[in-house]
Amino acid sequence: MTAAFVYEFRMQARKRSMWIANGVIVALLGLLTANLLTDALDEPSAKVAMTSGAFLVNLILPVVYGCFLADRLVRDDKLGVAPILDATPASTAGRLSGKYLGSCAAAAVPLAIIYFGFAVLYAATAGHPVALAWAAALFAVVILPAVLFVGAFALVVPLLIPAPLFRVLFVGYWFWGNSIHPTLMPTLSQSLISPIGPYPLQELFGYGGPGGDVVLAGPVDDATLNFLRPAATAATAWLSIGVLLAVAALVLSAAPALRARTTR
Amino acid sequence: MRPTDLWRYEVRRAGWAALLTPPVATAALLLLALLDGGDDTDRTLLAALEMVLPLAAGVGAASLVGRDPAVELQLTVPTSYRSTLLRRLAVTLGWAALLAVLVAGILLATGGMPQERGALSGQLVWLAPTVWLGGLGFLAGAAFRSPAAAGGLVTTWWIVQQVFPGLLQGRDWSRTLYLFETTRGAVPEGWAANRLTLVATALVLAGLGWALLGRAERLLREEAE
Repeated sequence: MTAAFVYEFRMQARKRSMWIANGVIVALLGLLTANLLTDALDEPSAKVAMTSGAFLVNLILPVVYGCFLADRLVRDDKLGVAPILDATPASTAGRLSGKYLGSCAAAAVPLAIIYFGFAVLYAATAGHPVALAWAAALFAVVILPAVLFVGAFALVVPLLIPAPLFRVLFVGYWFWGNSIHPTLMPTLSQSLISPIGPYPLQELFGYGGPGGDVVLAGPVDDATLNFLRPAATAATAWLSIGVLLAVAALVLSAAPALRARTTR
Repeated sequence: MRPTDLWRYEVRRAGWAALLTPPVATAALLLLALLDGGDDTDRTLLAALEMVLPLAAGVGAASLVGRDPAVELQLTVPTSYRSTLLRRLAVTLGWAALLAVLVAGILLATGGMPQERGALSGQLVWLAPTVWLGGLGFLAGAAFRSPAAAGGLVTTWWIVQQVFPGLLQGRDWSRTLYLFETTRGAVPEGWAANRLTLVATALVLAGLGWALLGRAERLLREEAE
Protein backbone atom coordinates (compact mmCIF):
# COMPACT_ATOMS: atom_id res chain seq x y z
CA MET A 1 0.00 0.00 0.00
CA THR A 2 2.79 2.43 0.89
CA ALA A 3 4.56 1.83 -2.41
CA ALA A 4 1.31 2.35 -4.35
CA PHE A 5 0.66 5.52 -2.32
CA VAL A 6 4.10 6.99 -2.95
CA TYR A 7 4.15 6.10 -6.64
CA GLU A 8 0.62 7.34 -7.30
CA PHE A 9 1.36 10.57 -5.45
CA ARG A 10 4.55 11.23 -7.40
CA MET A 11 2.96 10.31 -10.71
CA GLN A 12 0.11 12.77 -10.19
CA ALA A 13 2.18 15.51 -8.57
CA ARG A 14 4.65 15.46 -11.48
CA LYS A 15 1.88 15.85 -14.03
CA ARG A 16 2.74 19.19 -15.55
CA SER A 17 -0.73 19.77 -16.95
CA MET A 18 -2.18 19.60 -13.42
CA TRP A 19 -0.07 22.54 -12.30
CA ILE A 20 -0.64 24.56 -15.46
CA ALA A 21 -4.42 23.99 -15.37
CA ASN A 22 -4.61 24.89 -11.68
CA GLY A 23 -2.46 27.95 -12.34
CA VAL A 24 -4.68 29.13 -15.21
CA ILE A 25 -7.83 28.62 -13.11
CA VAL A 26 -6.43 30.47 -10.09
CA ALA A 27 -5.19 33.31 -12.32
CA LEU A 28 -8.61 33.63 -13.98
CA LEU A 29 -10.44 33.58 -10.65
CA GLY A 30 -7.94 36.03 -9.16
CA LEU A 31 -8.52 38.40 -12.07
CA LEU A 32 -12.30 38.28 -11.68
CA THR A 33 -12.36 38.43 -7.88
CA ALA A 34 -9.52 40.88 -7.22
CA ASN A 35 -11.83 43.23 -5.28
CA LEU A 36 -13.26 40.33 -3.22
CA LEU A 37 -9.71 39.32 -2.31
CA THR A 38 -8.86 42.79 -1.02
CA ASP A 39 -12.12 42.75 0.99
CA ALA A 40 -11.15 39.37 2.47
CA LEU A 41 -7.71 40.67 3.45
CA ASP A 42 -9.39 43.63 5.22
CA GLU A 43 -11.64 41.32 7.27
CA PRO A 44 -10.87 42.02 10.97
CA SER A 45 -11.60 38.48 12.22
CA ALA A 46 -9.03 35.84 11.23
CA LYS A 47 -11.60 33.08 11.80
CA VAL A 48 -14.17 34.65 9.46
CA ALA A 49 -11.55 35.31 6.76
CA MET A 50 -10.21 31.73 6.85
CA THR A 51 -13.69 30.19 6.94
CA SER A 52 -14.83 32.22 3.91
CA GLY A 53 -11.66 31.11 2.12
CA ALA A 54 -12.31 27.44 2.92
CA PHE A 55 -15.91 27.79 1.73
CA LEU A 56 -14.80 29.23 -1.61
CA VAL A 57 -12.08 26.60 -2.07
CA ASN A 58 -14.61 23.83 -1.38
CA LEU A 59 -17.23 25.38 -3.64
CA ILE A 60 -15.14 25.62 -6.83
CA LEU A 61 -11.92 23.61 -6.73
CA PRO A 62 -13.44 20.10 -6.21
CA VAL A 63 -14.63 20.38 -9.82
CA VAL A 64 -10.99 20.67 -10.89
CA TYR A 65 -9.58 17.76 -8.91
CA GLY A 66 -12.70 15.64 -9.56
CA CYS A 67 -11.91 15.92 -13.28
CA PHE A 68 -8.24 15.13 -12.71
CA LEU A 69 -8.85 12.03 -10.60
CA ALA A 70 -11.41 10.60 -13.02
CA ASP A 71 -8.89 8.65 -15.10
CA ARG A 72 -6.69 7.27 -12.30
CA LEU A 73 -8.23 3.83 -11.86
CA VAL A 74 -9.31 3.12 -15.45
CA ARG A 75 -5.83 4.12 -16.61
CA ASP A 76 -4.28 0.80 -15.51
CA ASP A 77 -6.73 -1.08 -17.71
CA LYS A 78 -6.27 1.31 -20.64
CA LEU A 79 -2.50 0.91 -20.56
CA GLY A 80 -2.87 -2.86 -20.24
CA VAL A 81 -0.86 -3.04 -17.01
CA ALA A 82 -3.76 -4.06 -14.74
CA PRO A 83 -3.27 -7.84 -15.24
CA ILE A 84 0.47 -7.49 -14.55
CA LEU A 85 -0.20 -5.55 -11.35
CA ASP A 86 -2.80 -8.15 -10.36
CA ALA A 87 -0.12 -10.82 -10.70
CA THR A 88 2.16 -9.13 -8.16
CA PRO A 89 2.11 -10.24 -4.50
CA ALA A 90 0.63 -6.83 -3.45
CA SER A 91 -2.99 -7.27 -2.36
CA THR A 92 -5.77 -5.69 -4.43
CA ALA A 93 -7.16 -3.85 -1.42
CA GLY A 94 -3.71 -2.49 -0.50
CA ARG A 95 -3.01 -1.27 -4.03
CA LEU A 96 -6.45 0.28 -4.30
CA SER A 97 -6.14 2.15 -0.99
CA GLY A 98 -2.62 3.27 -1.89
CA LYS A 99 -3.77 4.52 -5.28
CA TYR A 100 -6.78 6.25 -3.72
CA LEU A 101 -4.90 7.96 -0.89
CA GLY A 102 -1.91 8.79 -3.11
CA SER A 103 -3.95 10.45 -5.84
CA CYS A 104 -6.12 12.27 -3.27
CA ALA A 105 -2.99 13.51 -1.49
CA ALA A 106 -1.58 14.77 -4.79
CA ALA A 107 -4.90 16.51 -5.56
CA ALA A 108 -4.74 18.16 -2.12
CA VAL A 109 -1.29 19.70 -2.76
CA PRO A 110 -2.46 22.51 -5.11
CA LEU A 111 -5.40 23.13 -2.74
CA ALA A 112 -3.00 23.42 0.19
CA ILE A 113 -0.74 25.81 -1.73
CA ILE A 114 -3.68 28.02 -2.74
CA TYR A 115 -5.38 27.97 0.67
CA PHE A 116 -2.32 28.29 2.90
CA GLY A 117 -0.94 30.89 0.49
CA PHE A 118 -4.05 32.95 1.18
CA ALA A 119 -3.67 32.28 4.94
CA VAL A 120 -0.04 33.43 4.97
CA LEU A 121 -0.94 36.54 2.94
CA TYR A 122 -3.74 37.34 5.37
CA ALA A 123 -1.61 36.65 8.46
CA ALA A 124 1.11 38.95 7.11
CA THR A 125 -1.11 41.83 5.96
CA ALA A 126 -3.61 41.77 8.85
CA GLY A 127 -1.06 40.87 11.52
CA HIS A 128 -3.05 37.86 12.79
CA PRO A 129 -0.77 34.79 12.86
CA VAL A 130 -3.63 32.84 14.46
CA ALA A 131 -5.09 32.70 10.93
CA LEU A 132 -2.62 29.90 10.16
CA ALA A 133 -4.04 27.77 12.99
CA TRP A 134 -7.60 28.36 11.78
CA ALA A 135 -6.51 27.49 8.25
CA ALA A 136 -4.93 24.21 9.41
CA ALA A 137 -8.10 23.25 11.32
CA LEU A 138 -10.39 24.15 8.40
CA PHE A 139 -8.18 22.29 5.94
CA ALA A 140 -8.38 19.11 8.04
CA VAL A 141 -12.07 19.29 8.96
CA VAL A 142 -13.69 20.85 5.88
CA ILE A 143 -11.41 20.57 2.83
CA LEU A 144 -9.90 17.09 3.30
CA PRO A 145 -13.22 15.21 3.80
CA ALA A 146 -14.41 16.78 0.53
CA VAL A 147 -11.24 15.57 -1.24
CA LEU A 148 -11.74 12.02 0.07
CA PHE A 149 -15.46 12.02 -0.83
CA VAL A 150 -14.98 13.37 -4.36
CA GLY A 151 -11.86 11.22 -4.86
CA ALA A 152 -13.73 7.99 -4.16
CA PHE A 153 -16.45 8.77 -6.72
CA ALA A 154 -13.94 10.06 -9.29
CA LEU A 155 -11.94 6.84 -9.07
CA VAL A 156 -14.83 4.38 -9.07
CA VAL A 157 -17.61 5.84 -11.26
CA PRO A 158 -15.48 5.93 -14.46
CA LEU A 159 -15.33 2.13 -14.17
CA LEU A 160 -19.02 2.23 -15.06
CA ILE A 161 -19.28 5.16 -17.46
CA PRO A 162 -16.71 6.90 -19.73
CA ALA A 163 -14.57 9.55 -18.00
CA PRO A 164 -15.86 12.51 -20.12
CA LEU A 165 -19.47 11.59 -19.25
CA PHE A 166 -18.46 11.34 -15.59
CA ARG A 167 -16.93 14.85 -15.75
CA VAL A 168 -20.12 16.33 -17.23
CA LEU A 169 -22.43 14.57 -14.75
CA PHE A 170 -20.10 15.36 -11.85
CA VAL A 171 -20.03 19.11 -12.46
CA GLY A 172 -23.83 19.06 -12.91
CA TYR A 173 -24.16 17.18 -9.62
CA TRP A 174 -21.80 19.61 -7.91
CA PHE A 175 -23.95 22.59 -8.84
CA TRP A 176 -27.20 20.79 -8.02
CA GLY A 177 -26.06 19.07 -4.81
CA ASN A 178 -24.21 22.00 -3.24
CA SER A 179 -25.41 25.33 -4.61
CA ILE A 180 -29.14 25.03 -5.28
CA HIS A 181 -31.37 26.15 -2.43
CA PRO A 182 -33.48 23.22 -1.10
CA THR A 183 -36.76 25.10 -1.60
CA LEU A 184 -36.17 25.32 -5.37
CA MET A 185 -36.03 21.56 -6.05
CA PRO A 186 -35.15 18.29 -4.31
CA THR A 187 -31.39 18.58 -3.69
CA LEU A 188 -28.70 17.26 -1.38
CA SER A 189 -27.43 20.75 -0.59
CA GLN A 190 -27.45 21.88 3.04
CA SER A 191 -27.66 18.22 4.06
CA LEU A 192 -25.34 15.85 5.94
CA ILE A 193 -23.95 14.49 2.68
CA SER A 194 -23.13 17.81 1.07
CA PRO A 195 -19.35 17.60 0.53
CA ILE A 196 -18.71 21.35 0.74
CA GLY A 197 -19.35 20.85 4.47
CA PRO A 198 -22.23 23.14 5.47
CA TYR A 199 -22.59 21.50 8.92
CA PRO A 200 -18.95 21.79 10.04
CA LEU A 201 -18.60 25.27 8.48
CA GLN A 202 -21.65 26.57 10.34
CA GLU A 203 -21.43 24.70 13.63
CA LEU A 204 -17.71 24.28 14.22
CA PHE A 205 -16.56 27.56 12.68
CA GLY A 206 -19.65 29.77 12.93
CA TYR A 207 -19.76 30.57 9.19
CA GLY A 208 -22.90 32.36 8.00
CA GLY A 209 -22.21 33.19 4.35
CA PRO A 210 -20.62 36.40 3.01
CA GLY A 211 -22.98 38.63 5.03
CA GLY A 212 -22.87 36.41 8.13
CA ASP A 213 -26.65 35.94 8.12
CA VAL A 214 -27.14 32.86 5.91
CA VAL A 215 -28.25 29.51 7.32
CA LEU A 216 -26.09 26.87 5.64
CA ALA A 217 -27.22 23.68 7.36
CA GLY A 218 -30.23 22.11 9.06
CA PRO A 219 -33.88 21.54 8.12
CA VAL A 220 -35.43 23.93 5.58
CA ASP A 221 -39.17 24.69 5.61
CA ASP A 222 -41.09 23.28 2.61
CA ALA A 223 -38.05 21.38 1.30
CA THR A 224 -37.92 17.72 0.37
CA LEU A 225 -35.24 15.33 1.70
CA ASN A 226 -35.32 17.06 5.10
CA PHE A 227 -34.60 13.69 6.74
CA LEU A 228 -31.03 14.28 5.56
CA ARG A 229 -31.00 17.65 7.32
CA PRO A 230 -31.14 17.09 11.08
CA ALA A 231 -30.91 20.11 13.38
CA ALA A 232 -27.44 21.62 13.04
CA THR A 233 -25.31 21.11 16.14
CA ALA A 234 -21.65 20.37 16.78
CA ALA A 235 -22.57 16.68 17.06
CA THR A 236 -24.31 16.60 13.67
CA ALA A 237 -21.33 18.48 12.19
CA TRP A 238 -19.02 15.62 13.25
CA LEU A 239 -21.68 13.16 12.09
CA SER A 240 -21.67 14.86 8.68
CA ILE A 241 -17.90 14.35 8.37
CA GLY A 242 -18.34 10.71 9.43
CA VAL A 243 -21.11 10.19 6.86
CA LEU A 244 -18.98 11.68 4.06
CA LEU A 245 -16.04 9.42 4.91
CA ALA A 246 -18.31 6.36 5.29
CA VAL A 247 -19.91 6.99 1.87
CA ALA A 248 -16.41 7.36 0.38
CA ALA A 249 -15.31 4.04 1.91
CA LEU A 250 -18.49 2.33 0.69
CA VAL A 251 -18.02 3.59 -2.87
CA LEU A 252 -14.38 2.55 -2.85
CA SER A 253 -15.25 -0.93 -1.60
CA ALA A 254 -17.31 -1.46 -4.76
CA ALA A 255 -14.24 -0.92 -6.96
CA PRO A 256 -12.77 -4.47 -6.97
CA ALA A 257 -16.10 -6.02 -8.03
CA LEU A 258 -16.60 -3.38 -10.75
CA ARG A 259 -13.05 -3.84 -12.00
CA ALA A 260 -13.51 -7.60 -12.22
CA ARG A 261 -16.59 -6.95 -14.33
CA THR A 262 -14.90 -4.57 -16.74
CA THR A 263 -11.43 -6.19 -17.04
CA ARG A 264 -11.28 -8.37 -20.08
CA MET B 1 -10.33 7.16 -49.66
CA ARG B 2 -13.17 9.57 -50.37
CA PRO B 3 -13.71 12.47 -47.97
CA THR B 4 -17.10 11.04 -46.92
CA ASP B 5 -15.36 7.85 -45.83
CA LEU B 6 -13.21 9.87 -43.44
CA TRP B 7 -16.27 11.49 -41.94
CA ARG B 8 -18.09 8.18 -41.62
CA TYR B 9 -15.05 6.68 -39.99
CA GLU B 10 -14.78 9.52 -37.47
CA VAL B 11 -18.45 9.20 -36.51
CA ARG B 12 -18.00 5.47 -35.94
CA ARG B 13 -14.72 6.00 -34.08
CA ALA B 14 -16.34 8.49 -31.67
CA GLY B 15 -18.32 5.49 -30.45
CA TRP B 16 -21.28 5.24 -28.16
CA ALA B 17 -19.29 6.67 -25.25
CA ALA B 18 -18.89 10.08 -26.89
CA LEU B 19 -22.35 10.07 -28.42
CA LEU B 20 -23.99 9.21 -25.11
CA THR B 21 -22.76 12.23 -23.12
CA PRO B 22 -25.09 14.98 -24.46
CA PRO B 23 -28.35 12.93 -24.31
CA VAL B 24 -27.55 11.36 -20.91
CA ALA B 25 -26.69 14.74 -19.38
CA THR B 26 -29.93 16.21 -20.76
CA ALA B 27 -31.90 13.20 -19.50
CA ALA B 28 -30.39 13.65 -16.01
CA LEU B 29 -31.67 17.23 -15.90
CA LEU B 30 -35.13 16.20 -17.14
CA LEU B 31 -35.27 13.46 -14.51
CA LEU B 32 -34.50 16.00 -11.83
CA ALA B 33 -37.27 18.25 -13.14
CA LEU B 34 -39.69 15.30 -13.07
CA LEU B 35 -38.77 14.60 -9.44
CA ASP B 36 -39.65 18.20 -8.74
CA GLY B 37 -43.16 17.69 -10.10
CA GLY B 38 -42.34 18.47 -13.74
CA ASP B 39 -44.56 21.55 -13.80
CA ASP B 40 -42.09 23.77 -15.67
CA THR B 41 -40.80 21.57 -18.49
CA ASP B 42 -40.15 24.54 -20.79
CA ARG B 43 -37.77 26.14 -18.32
CA THR B 44 -35.95 22.84 -17.86
CA LEU B 45 -35.60 22.36 -21.61
CA LEU B 46 -34.30 25.91 -21.99
CA ALA B 47 -31.73 25.22 -19.24
CA ALA B 48 -30.72 22.00 -21.04
CA LEU B 49 -30.36 23.97 -24.27
CA GLU B 50 -28.17 26.75 -22.91
CA MET B 51 -26.32 25.00 -20.05
CA VAL B 52 -26.22 21.21 -20.35
CA LEU B 53 -25.69 20.54 -24.07
CA PRO B 54 -22.90 23.16 -24.35
CA LEU B 55 -21.15 21.65 -21.30
CA ALA B 56 -21.30 18.18 -22.83
CA ALA B 57 -19.96 19.54 -26.13
CA GLY B 58 -17.16 21.43 -24.34
CA VAL B 59 -15.97 18.41 -22.34
CA GLY B 60 -16.20 16.30 -25.51
CA ALA B 61 -14.02 18.83 -27.36
CA ALA B 62 -11.56 18.80 -24.44
CA SER B 63 -11.18 15.02 -24.74
CA LEU B 64 -9.95 14.92 -28.35
CA VAL B 65 -6.18 15.35 -27.93
CA GLY B 66 -4.09 12.87 -25.97
CA ARG B 67 -6.06 9.71 -26.59
CA ASP B 68 -4.49 8.34 -29.77
CA PRO B 69 -2.10 5.53 -28.90
CA ALA B 70 0.16 6.10 -31.94
CA VAL B 71 0.32 9.80 -32.79
CA GLU B 72 3.62 9.16 -34.59
CA LEU B 73 1.75 7.13 -37.19
CA GLN B 74 -1.01 9.72 -37.49
CA LEU B 75 1.63 12.35 -38.25
CA THR B 76 3.03 10.37 -41.19
CA VAL B 77 -0.22 9.94 -43.15
CA PRO B 78 -1.14 12.40 -45.94
CA THR B 79 -4.13 13.77 -43.99
CA SER B 80 -2.71 16.16 -41.41
CA TYR B 81 -3.39 15.15 -37.83
CA ARG B 82 -4.83 18.52 -36.93
CA SER B 83 -7.35 18.21 -39.77
CA THR B 84 -8.34 14.86 -38.27
CA LEU B 85 -8.76 16.50 -34.86
CA LEU B 86 -10.78 19.33 -36.42
CA ARG B 87 -13.00 16.72 -38.07
CA ARG B 88 -13.48 15.06 -34.68
CA LEU B 89 -14.34 18.45 -33.18
CA ALA B 90 -16.95 18.92 -35.89
CA VAL B 91 -18.43 15.48 -35.15
CA THR B 92 -18.54 16.22 -31.39
CA LEU B 93 -20.12 19.65 -31.79
CA GLY B 94 -22.33 18.47 -34.66
CA TRP B 95 -23.92 15.75 -32.56
CA ALA B 96 -24.63 18.19 -29.71
CA ALA B 97 -25.98 20.66 -32.30
CA LEU B 98 -28.33 18.05 -33.73
CA LEU B 99 -29.83 17.41 -30.32
CA ALA B 100 -29.94 21.14 -29.58
CA VAL B 101 -31.89 21.87 -32.80
CA LEU B 102 -34.35 19.17 -31.73
CA VAL B 103 -34.77 20.66 -28.24
CA ALA B 104 -35.05 24.19 -29.70
CA GLY B 105 -37.70 22.89 -32.12
CA ILE B 106 -39.73 21.47 -29.23
CA LEU B 107 -39.45 24.77 -27.36
CA LEU B 108 -40.52 26.76 -30.43
CA ALA B 109 -43.47 24.43 -30.99
CA THR B 110 -44.67 24.55 -27.39
CA GLY B 111 -44.07 28.28 -27.00
CA GLY B 112 -41.39 27.70 -24.38
CA MET B 113 -38.76 29.76 -26.22
CA PRO B 114 -38.52 33.35 -24.89
CA GLN B 115 -40.94 35.46 -26.96
CA GLU B 116 -38.34 37.80 -28.39
CA ARG B 117 -36.45 34.85 -29.98
CA GLY B 118 -37.59 33.65 -33.39
CA ALA B 119 -36.90 30.33 -35.08
CA LEU B 120 -33.55 31.61 -36.31
CA SER B 121 -32.32 33.84 -33.47
CA GLY B 122 -33.52 31.16 -31.02
CA GLN B 123 -30.73 28.93 -32.32
CA LEU B 124 -28.20 31.34 -30.82
CA VAL B 125 -29.42 30.28 -27.36
CA TRP B 126 -27.42 27.04 -27.71
CA LEU B 127 -25.04 27.87 -30.55
CA ALA B 128 -23.09 30.60 -28.75
CA PRO B 129 -22.27 28.72 -25.52
CA THR B 130 -21.73 25.45 -27.42
CA VAL B 131 -19.13 26.85 -29.80
CA TRP B 132 -17.51 28.86 -26.99
CA LEU B 133 -17.05 25.92 -24.63
CA GLY B 134 -16.15 23.76 -27.66
CA GLY B 135 -13.48 26.28 -28.68
CA LEU B 136 -12.16 26.53 -25.12
CA GLY B 137 -12.05 22.72 -24.81
CA PHE B 138 -10.25 22.38 -28.16
CA LEU B 139 -7.66 25.03 -27.24
CA ALA B 140 -7.15 23.61 -23.73
CA GLY B 141 -6.83 20.10 -25.19
CA ALA B 142 -4.18 21.33 -27.65
CA ALA B 143 -2.32 23.21 -24.91
CA PHE B 144 -2.42 20.57 -22.14
CA ARG B 145 -2.63 17.40 -24.30
CA SER B 146 -4.55 15.92 -21.38
CA PRO B 147 -8.34 15.37 -21.38
CA ALA B 148 -8.33 15.59 -17.57
CA ALA B 149 -6.72 19.04 -17.47
CA ALA B 150 -8.69 20.40 -20.44
CA GLY B 151 -11.96 18.96 -19.08
CA GLY B 152 -11.16 20.47 -15.68
CA LEU B 153 -10.76 23.92 -17.21
CA VAL B 154 -14.05 23.70 -19.17
CA THR B 155 -16.06 22.42 -16.19
CA THR B 156 -14.56 25.01 -13.83
CA TRP B 157 -15.40 27.87 -16.18
CA TRP B 158 -18.94 26.49 -16.38
CA ILE B 159 -19.44 26.16 -12.61
CA VAL B 160 -17.92 29.58 -11.87
CA GLN B 161 -20.50 31.16 -14.18
CA GLN B 162 -23.26 29.15 -12.52
CA VAL B 163 -22.29 29.86 -8.92
CA PHE B 164 -21.15 33.47 -9.37
CA PRO B 165 -23.21 34.91 -12.25
CA GLY B 166 -22.44 38.39 -10.92
CA LEU B 167 -18.70 38.02 -11.49
CA LEU B 168 -19.02 38.29 -15.26
CA GLN B 169 -22.26 40.23 -15.40
CA GLY B 170 -20.90 42.98 -13.18
CA ARG B 171 -18.80 44.62 -15.92
CA ASP B 172 -19.75 45.66 -19.44
CA TRP B 173 -16.82 43.92 -21.13
CA SER B 174 -17.11 40.64 -19.26
CA ARG B 175 -20.90 40.51 -19.59
CA THR B 176 -20.46 39.89 -23.31
CA LEU B 177 -18.68 36.63 -22.40
CA TYR B 178 -21.37 35.34 -19.99
CA LEU B 179 -22.52 31.94 -21.23
CA PHE B 180 -26.03 31.84 -19.79
CA GLU B 181 -27.37 35.22 -20.91
CA THR B 182 -30.74 33.79 -22.06
CA THR B 183 -31.65 31.95 -18.87
CA ARG B 184 -29.87 34.06 -16.26
CA GLY B 185 -28.96 37.30 -18.02
CA ALA B 186 -29.47 40.57 -16.18
CA VAL B 187 -29.46 42.94 -19.19
CA PRO B 188 -31.88 41.70 -21.90
CA GLU B 189 -30.88 44.40 -24.45
CA GLY B 190 -27.31 43.12 -24.44
CA TRP B 191 -28.34 39.62 -25.57
CA ALA B 192 -27.45 39.91 -29.25
CA ALA B 193 -24.06 41.51 -28.52
CA ASN B 194 -23.35 38.76 -25.99
CA ARG B 195 -24.20 35.98 -28.46
CA LEU B 196 -22.18 37.46 -31.30
CA THR B 197 -19.16 38.14 -29.06
CA LEU B 198 -19.28 34.55 -27.82
CA VAL B 199 -19.35 33.15 -31.37
CA ALA B 200 -16.54 35.47 -32.54
CA THR B 201 -14.28 34.71 -29.56
CA ALA B 202 -15.01 30.99 -29.92
CA LEU B 203 -13.56 31.15 -33.43
CA VAL B 204 -10.46 32.85 -32.00
CA LEU B 205 -10.09 30.12 -29.33
CA ALA B 206 -10.46 27.34 -31.89
CA GLY B 207 -8.03 29.16 -34.22
CA LEU B 208 -5.43 29.33 -31.44
CA GLY B 209 -5.95 25.61 -30.79
CA TRP B 210 -5.46 24.94 -34.51
CA ALA B 211 -2.23 26.98 -34.53
CA LEU B 212 -0.88 25.14 -31.47
CA LEU B 213 -1.63 21.77 -33.05
CA GLY B 214 0.47 22.83 -36.05
CA ARG B 215 3.59 22.32 -33.96
CA ALA B 216 3.74 18.57 -34.32
CA GLU B 217 6.71 18.12 -31.99
CA ARG B 218 4.50 19.24 -29.06
CA LEU B 219 2.15 16.35 -29.75
CA LEU B 220 4.98 13.85 -29.59
CA ARG B 221 6.32 15.07 -26.29
CA GLU B 222 5.12 12.64 -23.68
CA GLU B 223 2.60 13.97 -21.17
CA ALA B 224 3.76 12.79 -17.75
CA GLU B 225 0.93 10.73 -16.33
